[in-house]
Amino acid sequence: MIRIVIAAALVLTMSAPAWAHFQMIYTPEAAMTDGGEVDLKLVFTHPFEAGHTMDMAKPQQFFMVQKGKKTNLMDKLKEITWTSLTNSGAAYEAKVAVRKMGDYTFCLVPEPYLEKEENAYIQQITKVVLNNKGLPTGWDAPVGLPAEIVPLDKPYALWTGNVFRGVVLRDGKPVPNVEMEVEYINHPPIPGKNAFQKKALATAPQDAFVTMGIKADANGQFSFGIPKAGWWGFCALGAGAADKLNGKELSQDAVIWVQAKDMK
Amino acid sequence: MRKLFVLASSVATTFLLANAAMAHTPLFSCYDSGGAIQCEGGFSDGSSAAGVVVHLLDGDGKTIKDLKLDENSEVTFEKPASKYSVQFDAGEGHRIDVAGEDIAE
Repeated sequence: MIRIVIAAALVLTMSAPAWAHFQMIYTPEAAMTDGGEVDLKLVFTHPFEAGHTMDMAKPQQFFMVQKGKKTNLMDKLKEITWTSLTNSGAAYEAKVAVRKMGDYTFCLVPEPYLEKEENAYIQQITKVVLNNKGLPTGWDAPVGLPAEIVPLDKPYALWTGNVFRGVVLRDGKPVPNVEMEVEYINHPPIPGKNAFQKKALATAPQDAFVTMGIKADANGQFSFGIPKAGWWGFCALGAGAADKLNGKELSQDAVIWVQAKDMK
Repeated sequence: MRKLFVLASSVATTFLLANAAMAHTPLFSCYDSGGAIQCEGGFSDGSSAAGVVVHLLDGDGKTIKDLKLDENSEVTFEKPASKYSVQFDAGEGHRIDVAGEDIAE
């Protein structure tokens, strides 16, 4: 009997989905042609499956950098409820007016999330670079976050099939051989709603395709060929130096989102 | 022979320079900030447009005023009462016209 229980427990553990947590900063369009009000959704979820959405606490920092100037956006944050395909969770949104040409780097430092099942904290420091009217003004500049992915290719100007490259930094220095996860927003949010669409854009043949595993090289640099149009998230696990919080383990990750478009 | 070589290399240099200049696209954008018009310029390779001349033209295309982009590649001027357009003028092949009616708040 004991043996059966152990075997059953093993099977359960092994079949537990390996889907990754991903802090999203989502907006429909990364490459704007005429500015306007940018609608940003901050959601801590499992993007490929549009699965379990975790409750976000009030972020520690949310700001944007444009032409080297940092603007605090904490007062723009509004709490929302995000609906995934399996539950709903506390998330945030912000509406930010964009008029000037150039790159807008949005940065989120969330409050660490206690993952009870693992008895450990996750803090995903997340970045997305948007552009207005094609003028490059600093998409490649490190912001100076404790854990950060700095793009080597314009993250808002990628065709489907392009290679996206980046460097993972810890306090400004490359992190060699860091383990990374890559995930696709397979159920894009429904415009005007705080929810994922039900229809999936792609079907993963196996779990390893849901959250893809890649590694940075000895110089902290990684590359990834983008197979499909849409938003792709890159997460460098434990990229930050902080690894303990309240006596528990902390994984301080660096996330960046990029958008690819089909040539047509 | 040597002269020919020098000539050839200077042609090549000219060609290279011309190519480099072609590789970037001028960018220019204006908006109405409640009566004052703000314009900013730049190039697709990220290079600055500081000092570039901007012509403020009337409805007939005649120059009302010549302006220059400041160190931030920006310029601000009062919105003309009648029909107007703005021209970013970074030389041949690098001019952009923006009609006044397309400049929104």
